[in-house]
Amino acid sequence: MSLSPRRFIRPAGLVALVVVAWALPYGLGGYAIHVVDIALVFALLAIGMGLAMGIAGQINLAQIAFFGVAAYATAILTTRSGLGFWTAAVLAVLATGLIGLLVAIPALRMQSHYLGIVTLGLALGFINWTTNAELAGGADGISAIPVPPLFGVDLSSEYLYYYLEVVVFAVALAFGLFVARTSLGRRMRAMRDDPLAAGAVGAQIPLLRMTAFLLASVYGGVAGVLYAGLVRFVAPDTFNIANMFLLLAMVVIGGRQSLVGCVIGAAGLSLVREQLVDHATYAQLGFGVVVVGMVVFAPTGLAGIPARLRGVLERRRGSAVRATLRPFQPYEPAGETERDDGPPILEVREVGKRFRGLKALDGVSLTVCHGEIRGIVGPNGSGKTTLFNVVSGFYRASAGQIALAGRPVSGARPYRLSLLGLARTFQNLRLFDDLTVKDNVLVALDRTPTRAIWRYVLWPVAIWRRERRLDHRADELLARFGLTEFAATRPSSLPYGIQRRIEIARAMAGSPRLLLLDEPAAGLNGEEVRQLAEIVRSIRDSGVTVVLIEHNMGLVMSLCERVTVLAGGSIIAEGTPAEVVGHPKVIEAYLGDSAMADLPLPEVTQ
Amino acid sequence: MQVFLQTLIGGLSLGAVYALVAMGFSLVYRTMGLVNFAHADVLMIGAYTASTFYTSTRLPFAVAMVSAIAVTGLIGLVIERVLRPLENKDVTLMLIGTIGFGMVLQAVAILIWGATGRAVPSPVKAAPLQVLGLRIRTYDLVVVAVAAVAVVLLVAFLQRTKRGAAMQAVAMDHEAATAVGIHVGRSNAIAFAIGAGLAALAGGLVGPMLYVSPTMGGTLGIKGFAAAMLGGCGNIPGAVVGGLAIGVLDSYAAGHFQGYSELVVFLVFTAIIMIRPTGLFGETTVSRA
Repeated sequence: MSLSPRRFIRPAGLVALVVVAWALPYGLGGYAIHVVDIALVFALLAIGMGLAMGIAGQINLAQIAFFGVAAYATAILTTRSGLGFWTAAVLAVLATGLIGLLVAIPALRMQSHYLGIVTLGLALGFINWTTNAELAGGADGISAIPVPPLFGVDLSSEYLYYYLEVVVFAVALAFGLFVARTSLGRRMRAMRDDPLAAGAVGAQIPLLRMTAFLLASVYGGVAGVLYAGLVRFVAPDTFNIANMFLLLAMVVIGGRQSLVGCVIGAAGLSLVREQLVDHATYAQLGFGVVVVGMVVFAPTGLAGIPARLRGVLERRRGSAVRATLRPFQPYEPAGETERDDGPPILEVREVGKRFRGLKALDGVSLTVCHGEIRGIVGPNGSGKTTLFNVVSGFYRASAGQIALAGRPVSGARPYRLSLLGLARTFQNLRLFDDLTVKDNVLVALDRTPTRAIWRYVLWPVAIWRRERRLDHRADELLARFGLTEFAATRPSSLPYGIQRRIEIARAMAGSPRLLLLDEPAAGLNGEEVRQLAEIVRSIRDSGVTVVLIEHNMGLVMSLCERVTVLAGGSIIAEGTPAEVVGHPKVIEAYLGDSAMADLPLPEVTQ
Repeated sequence: MQVFLQTLIGGLSLGAVYALVAMGFSLVYRTMGLVNFAHADVLMIGAYTASTFYTSTRLPFAVAMVSAIAVTGLIGLVIERVLRPLENKDVTLMLIGTIGFGMVLQAVAILIWGATGRAVPSPVKAAPLQVLGLRIRTYDLVVVAVAAVAVVLLVAFLQRTKRGAAMQAVAMDHEAATAVGIHVGRSNAIAFAIGAGLAALAGGLVGPMLYVSPTMGGTLGIKGFAAAMLGGCGNIPGAVVGGLAIGVLDSYAAGHFQGYSELVVFLVFTAIIMIRPTGLFGETTVSRA
């Protein structure tokens, strides 16, 4: 193990990169180094874009405007207000961050293309301001930005400026990668794949969206400052929509979900553009064609090509060892200590939910005691899932109160409820499809409030330590659910039954007190249903209360101590399985007459 | 009051153009869920084609327009065919793909017509009308009339013809539409072609009002998108109202804030759309968990 070559490849590669970066200027002419300097600025912009778009899934078409805000702020503060370059630079980055937060506000209300159009519109507004404002020098822009002073180093030399840029770039890339690969990045990727499910496992979506824009704008800000110091002249043309789309092309071609891919795309396209500077129109034509080709044939960009090739190769060879699902290892049963004292774990009082004219829930009251397995059954459309959605904070109840372990939680957001000990699964599986199985679990294991992200700036070591602890616990959890061999797989490539189990594992990762399972047996075969029953019992025995919606009556009868029957948005019966199944109202709701009364209870069927 | 009404009239004619842009955009969006960022550049191609036919071959303006619509309709078919694998899948990818197409169309326009742009003479030479002391350019009336006819024809097509009904069905549920025997691909292609044709109509009409250049699509297109969002993405009557609203807003902003009108328009638009993200006529959809 200690001699494994992988342990040496990374450090060796890093050293080689440092040597190349250090030696590069010696081989380049005066113009070539300028091109490289510009490419580095675009690479910084692309990292910011990759963080917002690729990692957090926020369509941010205002990145070029963030770049512009910082460049203009630096120019204005140095030439008009007479501040020193670095003071101006710090203020410029702060201002850009602030603008980033403002641009993020629409993202709280809208997503995908809506957000794209709004951000693009705001970027156009910015260009409109720069071309008109006297302060910004109008169409002529601002020239004579002073050379940044640096301990006597002459930064008017583009060679020396290159070293400044390389250092800043290395730090920025390292920080970006650190964010992308740890807790914050994982939560942002989860949010990108499925914001609802991410909220349900404790990610605070609004804060994450703001953070994504803040990161994008700060990277844009740093790039803008470096650009102002390098070119020492700003004009509106640099920040136009065509350059925004060029930046987008860089990120898409490089691979938006990989920061290294974004950097490669930015550097590559900058160099190609410079080569084709005399044929700019053909270059644009080429970039456009490549972008279209990329999204159709290689949506993961250049960075995704190795993984795709590996996938093809593996399919050709036919993977020799197939990963198998291992048996579930039961939890340690908890003592009886906590039972039956204190308030009920879930109390739903007179809850109603209307969608316009439709009454989905009407005066529903329900009390679930600690340690129970409660079944909720009812015909399709009777309001079962709506009840779950209200309890887990996805819908706001139109009437009534909900209390979790005695604590009123009506109207609380899903992430708050998750941190308070509520976990749920979804009827139509909501796994994070572009995250590995292990990352799916890790997102939920991470119990820190999202606001703790300040530590990324002030104390990254703590984050690093926590990652190692979480990693260890994720391995344990995967082993318990028999999923170890799928740790590095994407859930969408796995059979349905395994995906169902992953979802339960993810829900349990949050160490909940109350677990809501929405049709956990749907689509499972007989053996899988038997395993599910075993898992649910073990979860209950470990001290977690379980409420499940299920159509498989055999499972409900054998598993649940009490069953609640919903029909038409109201509770029509509640009691032990045997009591409920003979209840005339229940029979009427299901069959419309009393035909079911004489039917024997079904065995565990599929 | 006089100034107020004059500004309103100025806004309505440009608003009619925005409405056409928004309608084409909405039509494509509702049928295939595709946000077509190349729409603006299709418009630009349409404007160039129409003006080329009109000025160099001396065709009547109406014939030049029809030719332009045919040309862009073909472009629409090509775009749809290339991006078909992405339909009803990843919105982000489609969006980026159409941006790529926009880059291509712009480059093509520069290669054919040069980067400088051109002014198009107005096809209506009649003197402006004077009504109650207001000056109304006759060409503006033509623009509004043509746009109105286009709206009526589109709505009639969608509601009265079998093909239109099939497109409505695809818009609601493409899987169910397939199940009842509608060729979804063909339906989408037609939607795309009509959308592109509407863009060309908007481009051809706006040519004599503005300046035709390879980058004219940028602002015009984004304002058209904004209009579509304002009316509720995918809603045809909403697109018309949204277009007129953006046109009027534009006109007042230009009157009060001169050069900064664009900034003001987008700030106001952002504020409105934040208060009502689904637009004026959009349905609020509940995300089902």
